[in-house]
Amino acid sequence: MIVAIIRKELLAVVRDGRLLVLAFSVFALLSGFFLASISEHQQLQQEKQAVGASAKQQWDTQGVKNPHAAAHFGIYVFKPDSPLASIDPGLRQYTGQTLWLEPHKRNGARFSPAADQGLASRFGQADAGFVLVALLPLLVIALAFNAVTLEREQGTLRMLHSLGVSAMQLLLGKFIGLLLAFLLVLLPAMGLAMIILSRNFDLTGDHSLRLLALGASFFIYYAVFAALAMSTSIHFHSSRLALFALLAFWSGSVLIAPRLGAVAAEAWMPIPAATAFWAAIKDDIQQGLDNDGDHEKREALFNVQLLKQYAVTRIEDLPVGYAALKRSFNDGYSERVHALHFDSLRDTFERQSRFIHIASLLGPSIAMRSVSMTLSGMDLAHQRHFEDAAENYRHYFIGLTDDWDRERSHGTEHGAQGHDDDWASVKAFRYQSPPVGFALQHALADLLVLLAWLVAALIALLFSAKRLKP
Amino acid sequence: MSPNKPLLEARQLVVKYKNHRAIDGLDLSVPAGCVYALLGGNGAGKTSTINTFLGFNRPTSGNVFIDGESPEQNPAVVRAKLAYLPENVALYEYLSGVENLSFFCTLADIRLSRQHAHDLLANTGLQSDAHDRRVSTYSKGMRQKVGLAIASAKQAKVMLLDEPTSGLDPSAANDFARRIRAAADLGMAVLMATHDLFNAKQVADRIGIMKAGRLVEEFDAHTVAHDELEHKYLAHARGLL
Repeated sequence: MIVAIIRKELLAVVRDGRLLVLAFSVFALLSGFFLASISEHQQLQQEKQAVGASAKQQWDTQGVKNPHAAAHFGIYVFKPDSPLASIDPGLRQYTGQTLWLEPHKRNGARFSPAADQGLASRFGQADAGFVLVALLPLLVIALAFNAVTLEREQGTLRMLHSLGVSAMQLLLGKFIGLLLAFLLVLLPAMGLAMIILSRNFDLTGDHSLRLLALGASFFIYYAVFAALAMSTSIHFHSSRLALFALLAFWSGSVLIAPRLGAVAAEAWMPIPAATAFWAAIKDDIQQGLDNDGDHEKREALFNVQLLKQYAVTRIEDLPVGYAALKRSFNDGYSERVHALHFDSLRDTFERQSRFIHIASLLGPSIAMRSVSMTLSGMDLAHQRHFEDAAENYRHYFIGLTDDWDRERSHGTEHGAQGHDDDWASVKAFRYQSPPVGFALQHALADLLVLLAWLVAALIALLFSAKRLKP
Repeated sequence: MSPNKPLLEARQLVVKYKNHRAIDGLDLSVPAGCVYALLGGNGAGKTSTINTFLGFNRPTSGNVFIDGESPEQNPAVVRAKLAYLPENVALYEYLSGVENLSFFCTLADIRLSRQHAHDLLANTGLQSDAHDRRVSTYSKGMRQKVGLAIASAKQAKVMLLDEPTSGLDPSAANDFARRIRAAADLGMAVLMATHDLFNAKQVADRIGIMKAGRLVEEFDAHTVAHDELEHKYLAHARGLL
């Protein structure tokens, strides 16, 4: 019986033309955004590669100079975006694309695409992720809002009841039929996306797993809208009222909840201004953390320990370069202070992000958007993972130049020199994105919110089935 | 089958919608082979009676039975025994006559071969060139024939008709009446709510007149002339009786 209902539902959307119109619209919409996204993604990657190669070449050919002076030349590193960023670019518009690595100071990411855009582009900002999270639920609503009201309005619901069709069987058949119809609508666009992705990128097993998880999450998300649309269609006696109610829910979930959540999070967990942030770091380095003492006191203590370690009485008599040793000591302390403040700032971002989830009570879209950008590797957690890797790389190459400086000089003399061979021996920054497990771990809370919405929507459908009357 | 055994029965049936008594103490019995026409003006309680037999209304008090089973207690058993044709037989516009028939029969757990479906539609008089056309192109009479084909496929013991000839042209109404009569002659019990006195006189064995939820008069259709029937109906409608 359920198979017959599913078949009938599919025939309905095929024959009344909805499937063709929706499939064409979705195909045009998604492929348009996706192709634009792919193009932007590839352009960015090419720019990053070109700038990265040029910067490395400049680094490698600095000529003869002091190793620390060479370190001050600095190195730019770039976050390589996952191919899935073409589906959901996530925070790319707002996070910096590069990190400038230099001695003494940990920098934040800089050059966000949003900052580079002109005013005109602000009017057309949307991406494939927005289409998937915000617009496609409208298509689910378009398919489902009159699933039951139309049967009631046309009298077929009475016919079905008179034949002994139970409400559960009817709703289950309609629900499955609706989801299958929606998958059929999506199929051409998804097929095209897969072909473009596989032709333009070397998709790894990890990418495939992320795609699979992303597909499953979107399926749950659309199932929530489908179940809620059907419950609403049962609840209201007119298709028009059902449509208005569903559009109100869509607005709440897609438009209102994220803004409301962001405003509340910003009010409850404010982020320090950039000037205050850097001033606090500078102050902590100068004054010292806890009972470490101020800069002068720490340095004096360091000098005493150094003389003792090398069994000399004067700094001038040290067998290694004092300047490099002192710098390493001060940089070590600076790194500790930077890590403390950066971690605190990023923890605040993450707390804000979690706090915004309270607005998930209004709808599942925040959770879905979050899952989508996390699985695409374009969220805060992946950005943090990249920044930490870059910071480790900074420690590596600054440490290397400090080693050369220390070993090639002694006492207070500053004669250490490095050559192109030295600079070229510094390994290039190779960033390895975290595996899918990392993404799933960070998306767990959002996935649970999605599942909770699915359970709630199915329970609503179940209760609605009990009150389904012709 | 005993000819006296009622297939459709209402005993002291009361149905209330909030404070309004839509049906008020109805006693009604329709045996096999009998066509019972329920006459009455708008709001008399005819459709409420049909809906209660269908299980769409829950009796406030009293009982209804279809072949001895209560629609409330055994809805699946009851619905397997009955066929229902509303004023406008509701079919799916984007399916053909054959597809509608097959779909509704599948829901009633009846597997029809394509040929059997065509035969059933042909038996109701639906032209063969219409069988595979979408029902959005059908007239009301053609839809009624698909409804009759569903009833026939179900081999229903009971048929409930709600204003079946309303809006049909005289020829189609006459054709429909003949087919209902034929179904009753094969042993089906038919309860028909209607305003159509001519149709009621033409096809029914018994006629009941309802007013304000009550069965105010009941008589043998064969013993009453058409003029007399019209007189009784109007008298009740105007409150003269």
